[in-house]
Amino acid sequence: MKNESQCMMWVFACLNFMFLCCMGGLFFFLVHESFPIIKLYGLDFWFGQDWWVGETYGALPMLYGSTLVTALACLLVLPLALAVAIFISEFLTSMNRRFVKAVLELLAGVPGIVYGLLGVTFLSLWIKDIFGLLDGNTLVTAACLLSIMILPTVLTLSEDAMRAVPAEYRENALGLGLSKWQTAITVVLPQALPGIMGAVLLGIGRAMGETIAVMLVVGSLDRIPDPWFNIFSSAQTIPSKLGREAAESIGEGTHWSALMALGLTLFLMVLVISFMGNRFLKRERKL
Amino acid sequence: MSAAAFERCMIIFLSLLTLLISSLLLIILVTVFIKGLPALHSGFFMEASENFGRSGGIFYQLMGTLLLMTGAVLVSLPVALGSVIYQTQFLKSKSLKEVCRLSAQMLNATPTILFGLVGYLFFGVYLKTGVSWVTGSLILSIMILPTLQISIREAIEAMPQKYKDTGMALGLSRWEQIKSIIIPQCYYGIITGVFLGLARAAGETAAIMFAATTFSGIQFPETFEDPVPTLQTHMLVLTQEAANPKAIAQAWGAGWVLLALVFILTITAWILRSRLKMEAEL
Repeated sequence: MKNESQCMMWVFACLNFMFLCCMGGLFFFLVHESFPIIKLYGLDFWFGQDWWVGETYGALPMLYGSTLVTALACLLVLPLALAVAIFISEFLTSMNRRFVKAVLELLAGVPGIVYGLLGVTFLSLWIKDIFGLLDGNTLVTAACLLSIMILPTVLTLSEDAMRAVPAEYRENALGLGLSKWQTAITVVLPQALPGIMGAVLLGIGRAMGETIAVMLVVGSLDRIPDPWFNIFSSAQTIPSKLGREAAESIGEGTHWSALMALGLTLFLMVLVISFMGNRFLKRERKL
Repeated sequence: MSAAAFERCMIIFLSLLTLLISSLLLIILVTVFIKGLPALHSGFFMEASENFGRSGGIFYQLMGTLLLMTGAVLVSLPVALGSVIYQTQFLKSKSLKEVCRLSAQMLNATPTILFGLVGYLFFGVYLKTGVSWVTGSLILSIMILPTLQISIREAIEAMPQKYKDTGMALGLSRWEQIKSIIIPQCYYGIITGVFLGLARAAGETAAIMFAATTFSGIQFPETFEDPVPTLQTHMLVLTQEAANPKAIAQAWGAGWVLLALVFILTITAWILRSRLKMEAEL
């Protein structure tokens, strides 16, 4: 009996080790494969502005594109998510609240390729017509699409943060004569701020890694927009670059190494952001 | 305007906004359905695609998607179950537990395209599985690992401590406790995890688009080295032919099937979770 337990423990330990290996292996391979290009270019890889396959590799346009698209998406999603989260958590009855949450969870599961198709067919044409552009595949299109994609995540998590504010706070505020609206804005919102930060960071992490939908509408142009704040020009993000080019050179050569270095950059960015996001959410839960 | 009137206006405005966001789901479903209507005909599910996807059905694409997701869950489930049991039942050290928890979080946050790149390199190149459905299943199995783990862990942690205490008082060994208490009491978590994992695998495109799938040439894999056509790749290729209305209609049709598949799996997971959970608590 004892031996059997011992034996099974090792089986479980091995399975757990396999799981940890997945994470470790991912990181190891990204570093290992991007080593040649970093040895070749050093830090210049991240500051180079040109990417010509076979000649020179510079990651700045992609880095910039990723950052700008994500920041724009975040700006678009934040007011909407906050307003609706306040309403759901403070004003809805618990049955309606559960219904909306279920809808949001389903929305979060809509595959990226479906959003991509919607973006190509509708959003990019609308943006083209509204702003009178030659090409609807721009940074703004990608940002709008991303903001719709991360809305359920940000909304659900910030709503959770608001629900987690203890009921005594609300009761005190109402007892002091504040209206429900004032309570929501001046008491619940500030208390839930760390949780909302966490929700937004996790949303940003998701937005940065989104490949397919962005790839289809961002325009795929490896150039920093001119002037730099021109959000109506085509650009490129790191995942869309990987999605476009990885099939050409899979497994070997400098081009592959450069792509993997881009991947490593993306991985580290997402890792730091979602780590911070989870820290914020955890701190919220302790309250 | 008085403060009370302002508040009432704001609340009405917010309720409309909430209604709008809740109806987003319906809007997406209806749009995809209407757009795909020209392609949806009685044989859409049962016919092979013809003329490079511009007409015909999506039978083999659907089979490919189902094959990849089933393979992924079959590989992922033992690893997820074993690792969660080890972490909750055997592992004593606080810091090691923290490491495992962090790894799961990080794995969950990793951009899916990186699973595709690294997975292809590791499985396809080093383990020589090539561009094949086996590679795709293995890549997806790593991707859905955190999803399964979270469901199973929640179920195990929600189990009342007294069940385990009773088992210990009866003199059961660790393995007997796991076999006859934990797994029977927590199987709803396992099943929910499986369905959510299937849904997540079904919706994924980036991770498998160059490691496992093909657009044309193969209908159903005959060996372990064949790639498969999938709904996702089908849509991706057809979407990029934006000038051809027939191709786009086929993409919408495939999209509607994919959407329906994901939603059915997710809703099944919820229903099973609430029903089986009640049974487990009897």
